[in-house]
Amino acid sequence: MAGKPMGKTLRTILRHWRLFAWMDLVWITRQPGFFLTYFVSDMLLALGTIATTFLLAARFEGIGPWSEPRVVFMLGYALLVRAVQDMFFGFNVAIISRRIGRGQLDHVLIQPHPVWLTLLTEGFVPFSGAMALIPGAALVLWAARQLALHPAALWLGLAAINLLASCAITLAFSFLWGSVAYWAPRAAEEISSAAMSIMREISPFPLDGLGPIWLGGLLTALPTGFVAWYPCRALLGIDPAPYAPVVTPLAAVLLSGLAAIVFYRGLMHYGRVGSQRYLSFGHRR
Amino acid sequence: MDALAPSATCHSDIVVELSNVWKVYRQVQRAGRLRDIIRGLIHPQVRRVEALRGISLRIRRGEIVAYAGPNGAGKSTTIKLLTGLLAPDAGRIRVLGMDPIRDRIPYVQRIGVVFGQRTELWWDHSVAASFEWKRVVWNIPSERYHRTLGFLREILGLDDFYQTLARELSLGQRMRAELGLALLHEPELLFLDEPTIGLDVLAKRQILGFIQQLNRERRVTVVVTSHDMDDLERLAGRIVLIHRGSIAFDGDFARLRRALGDRRHLLIETITDHPPRLEGAVWLHSQNGRHEYVFDAAAVSIAALLDQAAAQTRILDVETHRVPIDDVIATLYQRWQTPPSQSIDAARTVPEQERADPSA
Repeated sequence: MAGKPMGKTLRTILRHWRLFAWMDLVWITRQPGFFLTYFVSDMLLALGTIATTFLLAARFEGIGPWSEPRVVFMLGYALLVRAVQDMFFGFNVAIISRRIGRGQLDHVLIQPHPVWLTLLTEGFVPFSGAMALIPGAALVLWAARQLALHPAALWLGLAAINLLASCAITLAFSFLWGSVAYWAPRAAEEISSAAMSIMREISPFPLDGLGPIWLGGLLTALPTGFVAWYPCRALLGIDPAPYAPVVTPLAAVLLSGLAAIVFYRGLMHYGRVGSQRYLSFGHRR
Repeated sequence: MDALAPSATCHSDIVVELSNVWKVYRQVQRAGRLRDIIRGLIHPQVRRVEALRGISLRIRRGEIVAYAGPNGAGKSTTIKLLTGLLAPDAGRIRVLGMDPIRDRIPYVQRIGVVFGQRTELWWDHSVAASFEWKRVVWNIPSERYHRTLGFLREILGLDDFYQTLARELSLGQRMRAELGLALLHEPELLFLDEPTIGLDVLAKRQILGFIQQLNRERRVTVVVTSHDMDDLERLAGRIVLIHRGSIAFDGDFARLRRALGDRRHLLIETITDHPPRLEGAVWLHSQNGRHEYVFDAAAVSIAALLDQAAAQTRILDVETHRVPIDDVIATLYQRWQTPPSQSIDAARTVPEQERADPSA
């Protein structure tokens, strides 16, 4: 943002988001039949990722301190995290190792904007990426009613911050591992995909009862605990500590900072050695 | 070696300036034997590849410069350095008064880039949508956008496929759309990396004509790489030949021909099947009384050769033509592949395959 007023940068971001939303809409309306199939199948896939936990909770009427509606709330929250990622970071922005490994950062570097701004806006697909949004929102609303939640503005604000923080953690984890592709473009081309998968697959499980080593690992080295479990504990009051709602945002700041450092170090390396291979697919539709 | 870059242009209005630029890559060598693979894990064998070896080059505003060389010579590396996609290991690069890496954002506002083997178009969108994307991302003012768009649509003939999806375009149409997209923000400097690759003759002619018109009317400086020397000769006033990371030639095509020997072919038809022996020309072959020779017009005149022939036999017909620039460059590349003949001077001689003894 150096030298550019924040207001101007914000306007640029909004202008880009509007453009990409329009392009996404044009794409959808061009092939509505295809899109509908794509939408339904991806929605079912998203629901499939939470099915195991849901069935376990239904069978045993909850999991540990998590009652059935609480589990549903967490699953809905996990789907919302996924929805936000899919809507804002499509075109392999979230799976950044593909862009790096395929030499596609060249396309980013010839655009007259900071790299972060291009990556923040170029993957905005609010329509075609919204398949997890509807089931996620429905589950959260249903669970909130069952739990008789009457959220105050502060709670809603904290929930929104935690949601964004959970997204940031997943994305940061993907960028952290994805940066390996700067040094090993071919071997690590799919590493972000693997990182995202493991985060998404473990995220719907309540981690209560795990030993400190496992739990520590799942909140640090593989921070999947922050994708749904910990923020939901905080928001639903399972963890009564007053600082609990800010733990996930703090973790997001730390991990994002680390990811940014590693990513930009990689970018410097990319500037020194360039892209040794180029594949055109995936970064633009 | 002929004149090098620093002296090839005057110092005023320089838009591209490379001073003693080095770029070195490290390539890990792959071993085939198990023992070497294991050893390579501990001590990888790294080969140092000097892609650019202290090249210096200046390009003046409004020039069209052909940047050519055999595969692996350093062309793409130079284009990447000039477009800010790669940083030099040593030396200084100034383009439009800026450092392409440090001043990346304002710099890319003023340049246009077309990579023949890549696309900037949005694949599943119409050409129109890609142009709209460019307008927003480059923040082109509306009035300027519509003025430039009108010009580009007309001159590049984009109207026929403006609403067509990029993935449905023919290669020629795609390249025209790519060029339009690259020029939409009215860059002062255009980098074209193999813009005519894979195009048919007509599409190629259209693209080359457009680039010339753009240069003539808008004084856009163009740096173009290609393996098609005929295209380059048609397009560019100046050619920079790069070989093994160094500039081997910088000048115009006429000078390149002279430097390599102004080779021409001479076809003489005589009443006999036996080819006359011509001092200063190399006989290539004969068929039905037609004898073909190659000679250096800078060293021997056609008149002198015809005098010699006329003294030996009766001449029925004469034809002469220049060797195509592709052949000239091919000869040069061939020479470069066989050390120590790595200079233009070494390539002055007639190539191996053209040598033959008339008496054989």
